[in-house]
Amino acid sequence: MTEPKHQDTTNNSLVKFLSSPIARALFALILVIIIGLIRNADGSFFKFETHRDMLRHISRYGILACGMTIVIITAGIDLSVGSLLGITAVIFSLTTLHLGWGAFLAIPLTLLAGVGCGLMSGTLIGKFKLQPFIATLAMMVFARGVAKYITGGEKITRAIQKGNEFVYVDLPGIFAFLNSRVLNDSVAVVTIIFLICLLISWLLLDKLRWGRYLYAIGGNEEAARLSGVPVRAMKLLAYGISGFFCAVAGMCQAASEQQGDPEAGQTYELTAIAIVVIGGTNLMGGRGSIWLTLIGALTIGYLEKILSINAVSEAGRLMLTGAIIVGAVLFQGTKKR
Amino acid sequence: MKKMIALMLVAMLVGIFGCTKEPQQPAGTETKPTGTEPAAKTSWMIGMSQCNLGEPWRVQMNADVKAAAEKQPELTVLFKDAQNDSLKQVSQMEEYITQGVDLIIISPKEAAPLTTVVAQAVEKGIPVIVLDRRVVGDEYTCFIGADNKKIGKAAGEWIVKKLGGKGNVVELKGLMTSTPGQDRHTGFREGIKGSDIKIIFEADMKWLEPEARKEMESALARYDNIDLVYAHNDPGAHGAYLAAQAAGREKDILFVGIDGLAHEGQMYVKEGILAASFEYPTGGKEAVETALKILHGEDVPKEITLDSTVYTADSFK
Repeated sequence: MTEPKHQDTTNNSLVKFLSSPIARALFALILVIIIGLIRNADGSFFKFETHRDMLRHISRYGILACGMTIVIITAGIDLSVGSLLGITAVIFSLTTLHLGWGAFLAIPLTLLAGVGCGLMSGTLIGKFKLQPFIATLAMMVFARGVAKYITGGEKITRAIQKGNEFVYVDLPGIFAFLNSRVLNDSVAVVTIIFLICLLISWLLLDKLRWGRYLYAIGGNEEAARLSGVPVRAMKLLAYGISGFFCAVAGMCQAASEQQGDPEAGQTYELTAIAIVVIGGTNLMGGRGSIWLTLIGALTIGYLEKILSINAVSEAGRLMLTGAIIVGAVLFQGTKKR
Repeated sequence: MKKMIALMLVAMLVGIFGCTKEPQQPAGTETKPTGTEPAAKTSWMIGMSQCNLGEPWRVQMNADVKAAAEKQPELTVLFKDAQNDSLKQVSQMEEYITQGVDLIIISPKEAAPLTTVVAQAVEKGIPVIVLDRRVVGDEYTCFIGADNKKIGKAAGEWIVKKLGGKGNVVELKGLMTSTPGQDRHTGFREGIKGSDIKIIFEADMKWLEPEARKEMESALARYDNIDLVYAHNDPGAHGAYLAAQAAGREKDILFVGIDGLAHEGQMYVKEGILAASFEYPTGGKEAVETALKILHGEDVPKEITLDSTVYTADSFK
């Protein structure tokens, strides 16, 4: 056990801030941005579009990470987010493109599908006491299977087969909208949606009584149960919300690809977990915050963007990403225990 | 409660197997009686071993085999999917051998692990057509496949012609640890050799559309003058198009992809999104035609290289 040095100087508010999780998370982000300032790829890093497009790209992962944060705070994990993104992207494309449903019908159905899958995981975990890892692993495999089953393994595109001929349907307005930018072309709609998801998560975690329940369950489930926290219901809530966010991200995915790919979202769960962890939310549960996840998303987003504008080779990217995740988490880890 | 779960599981299992067996059963019952009389054989059973139905292109391959076989009433085809697992594919091949099918079409996942079992089938007198990916050595009846290097080269030459011999090109590569990615890259570089075409930006988009879009955004941010994007597959080219569209630059750039699937590349070309899509033929139809020849005792070449068609706006006039 090393002496936690910063504890002695907490009377200084600056030092106090510097040792807070937010400051530690910001440190990693700033480090990455400094790399970007140095390796700016002929000034590309200073262009506004670079940052706007980075935010658009990271938003889908960020939306998944919102649900992941809530689940991880309850000391759980949700491995199914990538598959749920895939299945909801497929359902959304199938209903809008192939069945010609309006957005007002397709969106609620897609959200319902996402929430339904999340609640199934939540039931397995809360009621049948399956470990979250196992229950969501099963859901990950199962949902991927369903996505492949309902599409027959094909992508759902605007081309619809009638006999041997293909007819093309127009891109529905909702696809164009989700894929567009607003506020004088300065921010992508998906980024706004990500912000809304962050706000929903913040309200839930910080403003509602349920939020304290979720933290309590993550801290010590037995103690929470004994003090009257409705553990089962809260777990349903956590995984249900995660499923909801998956459906939101799935619709964004479908819109940005203009198709429903049953393979979409593979390994996205790992990126979502990386975002949460790099932000500093503890995998053991009971600690963390949604704003840390925002910083984590920006860190991963900038890292990817900087590697991309510099056209770094794939091998280099993987090694650097791995190293930076370890670096950031090691740095944050120094504060605990 | 546990009983209920068990019941549900059983019901699900029955459901799943019920689904998968359905199409196979009529095939089995039809051909068994004829299988025992080798003299006047009028119907054959073909086993098709697919390495991974997770890829749309391979789904298309199976569909092509099925469509071609349906035109031949004397053929029935069994389909097995190895789900991207070499060893699973080996055991599925063994099942076909034990079952005594008349011919096997295999699209192997990897060369080395599947070489032995292909040779075993040939030894047992079952002709084997190897489709798309190779096995080691020559213990098979016929190999049918397209040549990625040739397609990449054709794309390169087409691009040189289209751009009049010079221009700035972005190359969005498929997974560079995969042979198709490497071949489409080296072939392309051969095709543009000697011209004044500059590759100003290249990135690995791992065959994935969102990745391609991300990489293209970077290229757009960095370079003001891009003439053409060459992507190793159509989704990649489409992703690049969407990135350019979002930046309002899609009119200044041409997009070229590979694969030419009906609902993907061909559609994009028809809609004017892609300037060209180079077909990577599945060979499904050719495999069935070759199988029929083999079963009728005709000679077939040891190796058939499939021709690639290029789809441009002119193809759909």
